Amino acid sequence: MNEQAGPGPVIEIRDLEVSRGGSRVLDRLSLSVAAGETYALLGGNGSGKSTTLATLLGLLRPDGGHINVAGADPAAEPEAARRQIAYLPENVALYEQLSAYENIAYFMALAGAEPDAMRMDEALDAAGLQPEARERRVGSYSKGMRQKVAIAMAVLRDVPVLLLDEPTSGLDPRATADFNQLVTRLKQRGTGILMVTHDLLGAADCADRIGFLAQGRIVEEIVPSAGMDVLALHHRYTEAAAA
Amino acid sequence: MSIVRRIAANDIVQMRRSRVALVSLLILLALSIVAALTSIAHRDASDELRARFQAQADVEFEGQPARHPHRMVHYGHFVFRPLPPLAAFDPGVDSFTGNTIFLEGHRQNSANFGDVRQSSLLARFGQLTPAFVLQVLAPLVLVFIGFGAIAREREQGTLRVLAAHGVSARAMLGGKAAALGVVAAIMLAPAALAMAWLVAAGGAPILPALALLAAYAAYLALWVLAVVTVSSLFSNARSSLVALLGLWTLTTILLPRIAPDIALAANPLPTRLETDIAIQRDVRATGDSHNPDDPYYADFRAGVLEQYGVDDVADLPVNYSGLQAMVSEELTSSMFDRYAERQFAQQRQQGNTALAFGLLSPAIAMRDLSMAAAGTDLEGHRRFLTQAEAYRFGIVQQLNQLQAEALTYADDRSRNTDPEAAQRVRIDPSHWHDVPEFSYRSATTAEKLTAAAPGLLLVLAWLLAMVAAFRIAARRLGRAL
Repeated sequence: MNEQAGPGPVIEIRDLEVSRGGSRVLDRLSLSVAAGETYALLGGNGSGKSTTLATLLGLLRPDGGHINVAGADPAAEPEAARRQIAYLPENVALYEQLSAYENIAYFMALAGAEPDAMRMDEALDAAGLQPEARERRVGSYSKGMRQKVAIAMAVLRDVPVLLLDEPTSGLDPRATADFNQLVTRLKQRGTGILMVTHDLLGAADCADRIGFLAQGRIVEEIVPSAGMDVLALHHRYTEAAAA
Repeated sequence: MSIVRRIAANDIVQMRRSRVALVSLLILLALSIVAALTSIAHRDASDELRARFQAQADVEFEGQPARHPHRMVHYGHFVFRPLPPLAAFDPGVDSFTGNTIFLEGHRQNSANFGDVRQSSLLARFGQLTPAFVLQVLAPLVLVFIGFGAIAREREQGTLRVLAAHGVSARAMLGGKAAALGVVAAIMLAPAALAMAWLVAAGGAPILPALALLAAYAAYLALWVLAVVTVSSLFSNARSSLVALLGLWTLTTILLPRIAPDIALAANPLPTRLETDIAIQRDVRATGDSHNPDDPYYADFRAGVLEQYGVDDVADLPVNYSGLQAMVSEELTSSMFDRYAERQFAQQRQQGNTALAFGLLSPAIAMRDLSMAAAGTDLEGHRRFLTQAEAYRFGIVQQLNQLQAEALTYADDRSRNTDPEAAQRVRIDPSHWHDVPEFSYRSATTAEKLTAAAPGLLLVLAWLLAMVAAFRIAARRLGRAL
């Protein structure tokens, strides 16, 4: 379990305001994610989901508000914040000429960790990447296989925060189920997970809380439960998106 | 291992696996090796040939039978310019200026007045030399290998992943530049080995060789920085490639081609024919040096008679014809020197104008400094012409003096009508051995480095400018991440 994991929030956003191209994208957004919690941020196109992730990564400077990522302010010290974050973009970017092992070793080294072969295998086992594929160049990988490599990296980095951008987009149902299991495993290790997604069912399946984002702010937040009415949930999501 | 070194090492692994990078680097290395080997062989063969011809010309001159000294003045002599050892690296203007001059009395032969500056880099495309490979082809290969350094990472999304792993923009650019720098060092290796061989076995001076190598390293380094900087400005690799190819074409092909033409238009040189006609016109105005009664020399004649206190040249203790030949040679030689100096000054002006384009093109600056440090620039050619002219003047005057001192005026005047006089004016061939052999003094190390200084300063200025651009690009990328 990572050292930063604890009872307090690993992500805390208060009254965050971010503009892009002259228009306000995030408008006094507030949310928090605790260690060992999965928070799903749902919203339509242009609602501000990706902007939220980019701001947490320190890739965008906020106009106002406060952000804290495991003790670091991404606006003031982006590199320190990024050291606390594992990030899975929607389209996992890896070096095509390198194998899964080489990609992992490289990115881990950049992040200051040097896992040995056994640890890499453990992480790739946990991510579910077939052993025979691991020495192949990732240029030949499917999207799901790439995501498994990225998940293995997240496992190895052992950081308190995991950001997921549309993680199950383009995955088949089996791969989606595998992915959700992995997320659950990471959550159990104490990792605070913020995922942005369109996938309502996936969010309901693995998130502890779901926030509906519209026009740059959370318009509703719910805690999914086992007997939840999915149709009602879908209705609320559609209403939030249209708001 | 530092982040920069890790990024560089990762890039090198990927380059090794990329067919385009590997093949283009291997082709360049093959060209470099072939260029170095053929250039060394060509220089050695050419130098050996010139030395052989020079020895042959010396033997033929000294082997002339008993002759009238002035016949020897007209028989003339050949001199050959030996190639400097570093000509194997950069033959410079040697192929365009020629390296042989026929020396004879009353004439300064026209190698001096060749249109040597009316050539450019394009005209040298046929010459595969280490200098050409490094000046023109190496930057192109750096462009092909490095155009995607940052642009492709951005396009593929790995740039953002690197940033998400806490890698700073400066470390990214530094790592990319370090990897491309390793490629540049590999490109430089065959040239460095050739240079080491030229110093160890070919007698090349070590300081100019080191200066050349350092300058080429700086030149490739500025290209490395330029490639990575430009790559960081574009959102996709294709746009970066197009921009870099445009930059390479402009600075390495177009400007070096255009600059000499502009320099020529700004400082036009008279053509060889115009110069020859003007010289002949001036020479004709100095009378007939072979005729002791030519009115042009009346004042000189009067002065000689007064100096010796006689009334007739026939009463002089020396042969007046020899004295007149000496003064005539002085007159014509100073006239040739004036023409040559005027032409040299215009050529220098052309050179300076062309070099000013080094502010727009590092290839122009590099070409200039490379030729200067190798001793194969136009200044080296002028040095040869000046020394050859001094040598010509020396041997002509030595023979004219022989005519004045070893022959009587009476014999000289009647040699065409009196067979015995004709016999007496043919002096012993042992005199021909007294004529010294031509010995070319090449530029000293200090002179070569001084000549290379303007180009070197320009290359260093380019390097500093690229370092500044690189730093700005790093800050810009940092803000964009």
